[in-house]
Amino acid sequence: MASDKNSQAPRQVLFVDDEPDFLRVVKEAFDSLSAGHWIIHCASTADAALQLLKQRKMDLAAVDVVMPMLDGVQFLQLLGKRYPDLKKVSLTGHVTEEKRSACLAAGAELVIEKPLSAEGFKSVYAMLDDLMNWAPQQGFQGMLRRVGLQDVIQMECLGRNSSILEVYNDHVLGRIYIEDGNIIHAAGGDVTGERALQRLLALPGGSFELVPFEPPLDKTISGPWEFLLMEAARVRDELAAQAPAGEPAVDPKTLVAPAIGSVRVVETLICSGAGEPLFDADCADVPGRVLFLKSVAGQAAQLGAIAALGNFDRLELQFDSGRIIAQARADRLVFVAVAKDNGSP
Amino acid sequence: MKNSPQKWLTSRASPPGMLACGFRGPDGKFTCHSLEEVCPVRTLEKILGHFEALKGALFSDQLMPSWTTWAFELGQIRYVERPDGWLLGLVVRSDSEAQPQLDPLSTEFLSLDLG
Repeated sequence: MASDKNSQAPRQVLFVDDEPDFLRVVKEAFDSLSAGHWIIHCASTADAALQLLKQRKMDLAAVDVVMPMLDGVQFLQLLGKRYPDLKKVSLTGHVTEEKRSACLAAGAELVIEKPLSAEGFKSVYAMLDDLMNWAPQQGFQGMLRRVGLQDVIQMECLGRNSSILEVYNDHVLGRIYIEDGNIIHAAGGDVTGERALQRLLALPGGSFELVPFEPPLDKTISGPWEFLLMEAARVRDELAAQAPAGEPAVDPKTLVAPAIGSVRVVETLICSGAGEPLFDADCADVPGRVLFLKSVAGQAAQLGAIAALGNFDRLELQFDSGRIIAQARADRLVFVAVAKDNGSP
Repeated sequence: MKNSPQKWLTSRASPPGMLACGFRGPDGKFTCHSLEEVCPVRTLEKILGHFEALKGALFSDQLMPSWTTWAFELGQIRYVERPDGWLLGLVVRSDSEAQPQLDPLSTEFLSLDLG
């Protein structure tokens, strides 16, 4: 294996821990054990770690479970969403079953007790090195919960790619067709169209794979992908709220979901991050909505500074007559109003 | 029959994934519980305290929602304000068991007899 290693580029390994002494020991120990095959990067806060991840591609991130502000479990989730290919492990002073489950659920491949002796460091080094040497699978695959199906669709649409996303579990296979960055068709079980897209995105678990594009027999979906994904997220939350306690929102065998009340979209506005309208459907007051979306962005930034919950995604306002969804991201502002029956939110 | 807000909070608002939950009463006093250390009581008090600023910036008499949900990457913040001045704040982890409980809890809170 030594010759294999010599031919490999050095591994980039990131350690995140709020204890500077531990980071210093880690760097010394692993520098020595890896004999130059690992380049070790250390960060004492989540922010510093994210900065390092922006600067270079890492092969592995080892994250302390207990950190101030953004704890290790949350940070693992954040890494899973932003860097789905990054291998992640949790390091903790004391492994409990509760911690182990939380870290594994948050995307950690391993949960390891912090080493205290030279033998301990050797053993951890072997585990981490082995983990980084796992051969990646062919193609693009992921688990629904861990990588984020929505994130992959968003990535394909933003890149104006053409592909088919096959979503499957033991019982059902669904396909989401993306052509030149537009979602054009979805099918799964006996359901097609936007409803199929929403049900597939609401599945409680499963896997997905990105396969080369082939034109579908029928095109059942149109409209801006941002709106389609946002509406799917809304429907998923609504189905989950209506499902009996402990039951999934969508039956994983049939994609059948409980019937929800009839709703209709009454207003849609999509703008650039600067507030320039890009798409408008029945928007009564474009300048007013843009102003509202900018206020939402400002308030979200203030709330985000209070609660360390990662990037802002959307604000939902519930009215007796319907719902308004306002999404404010750096590159996009979206306003959607949905009415129940004949109401107007 | 009157409900004790404290009792309701501890008995109902603690499904897995609930990070913190609490009230601001009509008298402006906070009753907050932290269920995970990532969202301590002080943070929830600040979240509840920020509601008036949010309301002033975004809502009007013509646009007054029953509840609002601020969805972030890792969690959601739900505000529910009653006409009698009680304000409920819930902070849940994304994709947790607590998330689908937000709507039932909000509906329940709006119908509680808090006297």
